[in-house]
Amino acid sequence: MGNLFIAFSLLITAYFVFWNVSQIAMSPLAIGTLWRHRLRNTRRARGLASGVAVPRFVSIVAPAYNEELTIVESLRALLAVDYQPREIVIVNDGSTDGTLAVMQKTFQLVPAPVAFDQPLHSAPVRGIYRSVSEPDLVVIDKHNGGSKADAANAGINAASGVLVLVIDADTILEADALGRAVLPFLEDPATVAVGANVGIANGCRIEHGRVTEVALPGSWLARFQIVEYIRAFLLFRLACASQNAVVLISGAFGLFRRDAVIAVGGYDRTAIGEDIDLTIRLQRHFRARGEPIRIGFDPNPLCWTQAPEDWQSLRSQRYRWRRGLLQSLWRYRRMIGNPRFGKVGLFPLPYIALFEGLGPLVEVGGLVVTIVAASLGYLEWKYCGMMIAVSVLFGVAVTLLAVLLNDVTSRRYMRAGDLALLLAVASLESFGYRQLNSLWGCVGTVQALSGKRGWGSMKRKTFRT
Amino acid sequence: MTELLAAFARLAPVMVWAAIATALTMAGAVVLERAEFGVHQALDRSLQRRYRPLVHGALEGDDTARDELRRAPARHRITIAWMLIEPLIADRDPARIVKTREIVQAMSLFPTADRYLRSRMWWRRARSLRALGLIQATDHTPQLVAALDDPHPDVRAAALDGLTDMHDVTALEAIVLRLHDTSLHRGRRGAALKVFGSACEPLLLELSARDPANRLNYIHALAICGTARSRRVLCDWTRDTRLEVRATAFEALAYVGLDDESARVAIEALESDDAPVRAMAAFALRGWQGPGNAAARLAPHLDDTWTVAVRAARTLQSMGPAGSAELQARASRPEIGGLLARQMLWQPGAQS
Repeated sequence: MGNLFIAFSLLITAYFVFWNVSQIAMSPLAIGTLWRHRLRNTRRARGLASGVAVPRFVSIVAPAYNEELTIVESLRALLAVDYQPREIVIVNDGSTDGTLAVMQKTFQLVPAPVAFDQPLHSAPVRGIYRSVSEPDLVVIDKHNGGSKADAANAGINAASGVLVLVIDADTILEADALGRAVLPFLEDPATVAVGANVGIANGCRIEHGRVTEVALPGSWLARFQIVEYIRAFLLFRLACASQNAVVLISGAFGLFRRDAVIAVGGYDRTAIGEDIDLTIRLQRHFRARGEPIRIGFDPNPLCWTQAPEDWQSLRSQRYRWRRGLLQSLWRYRRMIGNPRFGKVGLFPLPYIALFEGLGPLVEVGGLVVTIVAASLGYLEWKYCGMMIAVSVLFGVAVTLLAVLLNDVTSRRYMRAGDLALLLAVASLESFGYRQLNSLWGCVGTVQALSGKRGWGSMKRKTFRT
Repeated sequence: MTELLAAFARLAPVMVWAAIATALTMAGAVVLERAEFGVHQALDRSLQRRYRPLVHGALEGDDTARDELRRAPARHRITIAWMLIEPLIADRDPARIVKTREIVQAMSLFPTADRYLRSRMWWRRARSLRALGLIQATDHTPQLVAALDDPHPDVRAAALDGLTDMHDVTALEAIVLRLHDTSLHRGRRGAALKVFGSACEPLLLELSARDPANRLNYIHALAICGTARSRRVLCDWTRDTRLEVRATAFEALAYVGLDDESARVAIEALESDDAPVRAMAAFALRGWQGPGNAAARLAPHLDDTWTVAVRAARTLQSMGPAGSAELQARASRPEIGGLLARQMLWQPGAQS
């Protein structure tokens, strides 16, 4: 029995060392992508993107559900986007608060008797509004479809752009976000989607819908999420991007070719993680047919989103993310390790399955087994401490590496105090917060296995202005 | 198992220290990187303070300033060159371009640019190509044309950018011949042609006559650079055996503009069996108020396939009183054509 405990504890330690070392090993790929991106993304190139002659080249689709507090600020930011060939489609997904009324009042919305083809399925549309003050704004009012996917599909149906940018309604775009994101589509006709790094707006100053001052938030919960986002976006995803094997475009910012999204049937309304589901489906659709496909990723933060600052919202978000991830892994299990799907099948999907899929279970299980083994005397406490220290300290190193890449990429936190605090947060995040996340991951796994659905709720705050 | 644990016990302190060392290295790297950035920024500001007035003076014809720039240490010259050249991305004033080129020449920066063109590092080649294009160093056009075949895609893109900025007619043929070169960025190929405007039209027409297999590309190019001179050829191509070519030819006619004859062809094509052709014929007629009773012929297409109906509706909206009358006549109908008609009638009113 004792041997079993020890073997399991050692196996778990090796698993974590391998996971963290593999992330460090990915850093040359990530750095190469960052370097190449920096050299390519010239002012001249962005000028090319903004010179597109198609009148509404990009349709920005933003589903909104009970966003009364933030919708006007978010919409102003969208309208101020420094990219002229665009329209904005807000989908009011059956909000029960004053989301539609606030928009009607602020943007002088009038009902528009418009007819349009609806290739993607969504809950019935109640009405379409155009703004008298903002000609490029369209508001779709529809019955609640129970998911962001349903609302996004309704928006994509109404979009007239060649490209659709699907964002969350509370996402704040950088002024040059579209110019940057459009570029890969002009450069490579095989590009079907582009994702981007997402910044956390908590603590930042927002003026006229723009992030004008980047600062760390006061809440430790939000601070931990900042380093979590940095690590997620700047290591694995960049490495995937360098191999043209991106499998996740964040729901906060995803620019897609509209015809490609329609070809794969749009967002799946039954998917819990609709963003990862759509990205993998695009990869599967094109690769299975042997058609060229590229999914780009911009390492610069092109948009900002609000992170939950209370435990309940965060927990509910993490449960949902977990359920979404497991659902997608199960749905696309035949792609995992399958060379027919090229690098996507051979690298990111097995990696996600092994580390993201199993990670929380292994972490919590390993921690419990190691401590129990030590308590029962099968393992000396010093070994127990060493095992935990090795697992955690490599995690800290990986997070600090991501912070380094983040600083090289965007220098978001220019104040020395913020940078020092960020280093401290990156060092502390692996002590407690990460384990708590894994625990939530385990609960999410149980929920997934028991077939639980739904989004949960998130408390919204107005932005700091 | 005990041996395994013993092995772990030997290895664990090494791993713990390795992890601590890696973490500390990363934290140190962040601090160092930021410090290096600060120093670089400070140096850059100092160079800007020192040379910016000289650059302004030299551009305004001050020979003393130009001499001082010429005497600048070699390590500062690339920064100065960028101070001179970067504003040309936005400001394409010919006089400023000439003056910048003269200063660059006086500072003996062309040998540096040539050296960069031969560099093994692609970003140096790309930067040099862009700079040469921005200052319109036409004696370097052959190098820019040659760089269109560079093995690195970003260098090829930079060469195309450079040729676009160079605006040298001797490069026109090379650009047109690469119209079908998918290894070059699509948007940049268009932009490079656009800058020559109608000057490249005769060459496009000549090449297209000899190369019917790539007709679609020529149509796209003529949509960008074509004038009334291309109309006849485009009308001929509306009878091509390939559906895509026929539809795109009508699309190009929309940009080139119609005359009576081409409008007649477009109106006839509204009865085509192929929806893409009908859609593009409807699109080509936008704004047409000449003979042929186009509005009346378009109106029934409000109930056509969606892609045709939308274009017919938009074209009717652009046709003035004749189009409005047809839209009014259909606005009360419950079908999709009626909805489209109401939408078209509402849009100008709502936005005015």
